[in-house]
Amino acid sequence: MKHSFFGGVHPAGQKESTRRKPIARLDPQPQRVIIPLCTGSLGGAEPLVRPGDPVKVGQPLARGTDGGVGVHASVSGRVAALEVRPHPWGGSLPAFVVDNDGQNEPWNDCPSPLHLDEITQSLLLERTQWAGVAGMGGGAFPTAQKLEQAAGHIDTLIVNAAECEPYVTADHRLLLERSDHILQGAQVIAQCLGAKRTVVVTEGDKLNAVEAVERRLRKRGVQMELCTVGTRYPLGAERQIVQTVTGRETPADRTALDMNCLVLNVATVFAIQDALFRGRALTHRAVTVTGGAVARPRNLWVPIGTPLRCLLECCGGLREPPELILTGGPMMGIPQNSLEAPVVKNTNALICLTKWERRGQRPETTCIRCGKCVAACPMHLSPIFIAQALRQNRTNRLPALHPQDCIQCGCCSYICPAGIPLIELVRQAGELLEKGGTA
Amino acid sequence: MQTNSSLRLPPQVGQPATTFSMMLDMLVALLPALSMGIFFFGFRVLVLAAVSVGACVLFEYGYRRFTGQENTVRDLSACVTGLLLAMSLPPSAPYWVPVLGAAFSIVLVKQFYGGLGKNFMNPALGGRMLLATFPALMTTWPQPLLGVDAVSAATPMSYLHDGLLPPQTLGQLLLGQQGGCAGETSAFMLLLGGGYLLLRRVISPRIPLSYLGTVAALALLFPQGDQGALVWMCANLLSGGLLLGAIFMATDPTTSPVTPRGQILFGIGCGLLTALLRSCSSYPEGVGWAILTMNCCVWLLDRAGMPRRFGISRFHALKEQWEQLRQSTAEIRFVKPKLSFRFHQAGKMPGEDHLEQIRTQTRCLGCLGVVVLAVGLMLFAVHRFTDLNTVRAENQRQQALLSQVMPQAAFSSETPYRASGALSITAGYSSDNQLLGYCVEVQSQGFGGVLTMQVGVNLNGQVTGVAVTDHKETRSVGTNAMTSEALSRYIGKSGTIRSSGDNSVDAVSGATATSRAITDGVNRALAIVANLDTEGEVEYVDSEV
Repeated sequence: MKHSFFGGVHPAGQKESTRRKPIARLDPQPQRVIIPLCTGSLGGAEPLVRPGDPVKVGQPLARGTDGGVGVHASVSGRVAALEVRPHPWGGSLPAFVVDNDGQNEPWNDCPSPLHLDEITQSLLLERTQWAGVAGMGGGAFPTAQKLEQAAGHIDTLIVNAAECEPYVTADHRLLLERSDHILQGAQVIAQCLGAKRTVVVTEGDKLNAVEAVERRLRKRGVQMELCTVGTRYPLGAERQIVQTVTGRETPADRTALDMNCLVLNVATVFAIQDALFRGRALTHRAVTVTGGAVARPRNLWVPIGTPLRCLLECCGGLREPPELILTGGPMMGIPQNSLEAPVVKNTNALICLTKWERRGQRPETTCIRCGKCVAACPMHLSPIFIAQALRQNRTNRLPALHPQDCIQCGCCSYICPAGIPLIELVRQAGELLEKGGTA
Repeated sequence: MQTNSSLRLPPQVGQPATTFSMMLDMLVALLPALSMGIFFFGFRVLVLAAVSVGACVLFEYGYRRFTGQENTVRDLSACVTGLLLAMSLPPSAPYWVPVLGAAFSIVLVKQFYGGLGKNFMNPALGGRMLLATFPALMTTWPQPLLGVDAVSAATPMSYLHDGLLPPQTLGQLLLGQQGGCAGETSAFMLLLGGGYLLLRRVISPRIPLSYLGTVAALALLFPQGDQGALVWMCANLLSGGLLLGAIFMATDPTTSPVTPRGQILFGIGCGLLTALLRSCSSYPEGVGWAILTMNCCVWLLDRAGMPRRFGISRFHALKEQWEQLRQSTAEIRFVKPKLSFRFHQAGKMPGEDHLEQIRTQTRCLGCLGVVVLAVGLMLFAVHRFTDLNTVRAENQRQQALLSQVMPQAAFSSETPYRASGALSITAGYSSDNQLLGYCVEVQSQGFGGVLTMQVGVNLNGQVTGVAVTDHKETRSVGTNAMTSEALSRYIGKSGTIRSSGDNSVDAVSGATATSRAITDGVNRALAIVANLDTEGEVEYVDSEV
């Protein structure tokens, strides 16, 4: 039985400029890196080093508290300061500033690499917690916590390599170049957590990666499915990928774990595998630097904490003044005010859009009731009615329209020919309803 | 370069289509069918379209200007309305017809409700259906490739309405060699335009497919004609305004439901109504009325087709929908109009307030009066122009004349022939469609002035009857020559009738001038029929009155 999700949109892929470029090392190395104390969406962190201390690659800088994730030095050198710096998620947060000595000396006290036979569930959780792995697809949810909740009662492990956002190719390249590691990691996680079924989900625009994975699956002879579906945004969203693989619909107040599914990004799986089999913490990640304004778009292997400016320098700088710079894909990414913000654990792309590429934010015109927003919403909402009710102040109609179900994928705003900021209106309606519900 | 970029809302890219580009695509998609219409019915169709589009744009601009609203001509929606209106008119329609339709479409149907996106009825169809209340104008269908002045031909719709297959082959129907509205005849070109719209994602296939599917299924289930269900289905799909309606009118974004399930229900409803109206109503075509009726149900379909909430079971979804339905029905209540005529306010001397109140109330009543007047005028006009009694009386008068002039004929039909001296030439047919002869209307100079008469001549060149329809002769002197026995003396005569001798009709005494005038007229009619050029075989079919 083949499942699919409802709605969705087909944005222009724009992946051609980077999809054939291997992940390259960052060159030149950044002079100093800025590693934010907080890199997970939950919990806090407690510093372990003080300004002036020497650090080496992989050495813990902070320990996660309240279920948070720890951070590790991604270069060797000296901690210059612990001060408030701009954070790519918006605003400014405390961060370690580490001066790079260019030596890249590894830390000596790393835990030893494990062998396939000796890995147990507790060891997996412990290692993941130590390595500071957070959701690398965008959510930045502490992975150790997720694995702990999932242990024992999931039946499906979904490895999310969909990468449905336009422009971004980091996961595609990672899946292509590190297929072996990712498959091994997924196999171990599934074994430890007791998942009966493991599915790698990719989209049809990554056929070379699909081929590579298929070849290795046949060679290894492991029990794993490869699910390739037609490109449609937002396949990579958790609820939609669960629906595509299992046909189960996750209600708004539940998570995928309640539906007995665990969804992990390929980059996260790779980081877990790295921590288990090579004893390395999460210190580097793949980032796609692209957009019409970038001189030489490419995929880079970047130490976490590298300022965005260094990434651009490595790609030949800017060809023309960009209209907008954002981290993450253009559908859900965060616009950046300054290039001083660092790469964090969930930064999968740096995109510099030119004016002709954006086409968004047109002047708003009248709604012509075309109904495209209703047909595009993967959460079965009717943005047109929500917007109408909100603008006509008929808040008594909102509860029946469930605006709180919105996953902020932006399909409605994308598809609207009248340029109405539907996603914003739906968000406002959801907030209004929650406020009304608690008051 | 990066000012207030945090204010920019996601998503940072958008699809390229705007309202303007969607309307432009609509125009482009209509072009093939329009060009086919021009090819079949002549250059006149293009002029008709230009007049219609121009009128729509002008009315839109004028109304927005007049009411001080922002100018919306640039979104091209008025052009689409105008083109659709022109394409749903008969090619022979006079040029004032689209102007009247445009006024109704743009001002009444569209702008009175707030303009684009707020009207509940398809403007083009609204205008078209207002014009359909002029039956004489809107049911004259020229034959393709013969120019608009040719004969009025029966459209395939009137055959289907009678349960017969049209005389055209399916290939002819597909290409558009059928009588009908300017833009609806060529099914192939309409499908081409529909394919373009689907490719460009301007419309979704839900409405056209469910609409055509329903009509096709009903035609398959209840086939008529003698060539099997499949041919009947194809003839049903390809003829009339079905394709134009299903692809271009029913999919109008504003007046169709927004929810996907609602759209499918809308299409099915349109299909059912179309099939019903085509077979059961007195009017052969039902697409327009079906779509307009379903337009009025859109609010209901939108509620019925609301998508199921993500992640809840079907049972719960049904329960929730039932609850919503109950709430919606509770919302319906009759609102008592607030009309108060208090001129004195308690505790206040009549002053400025009071005058102000009187002024507002006068204005209100004035508006009400104007609206009542306008509605009354419209009703009167509709009554006046659609007065079926007048049409019927005219019909009966013609039948009476025919029975006097050519007693054998059962009905008559206009012919395209022109001859000098004849005001009109009509052909007379027996009840089994056999051509019997021609009735020629001629004038001659009588004693008191011009004398108009109809002369019936059969195919052998013999007079079958004479009737005087208009004269200025002296009562009881000249009219002696017009009594039925005086006129019946002409019956059976042929060649040239003289006043005396062989082949003659004697003048009635005392009315010599009038008798001579009648004889002259009969002679001229005989000459006209004898010299009638009936080359260029044309298939005559009766006009539908």
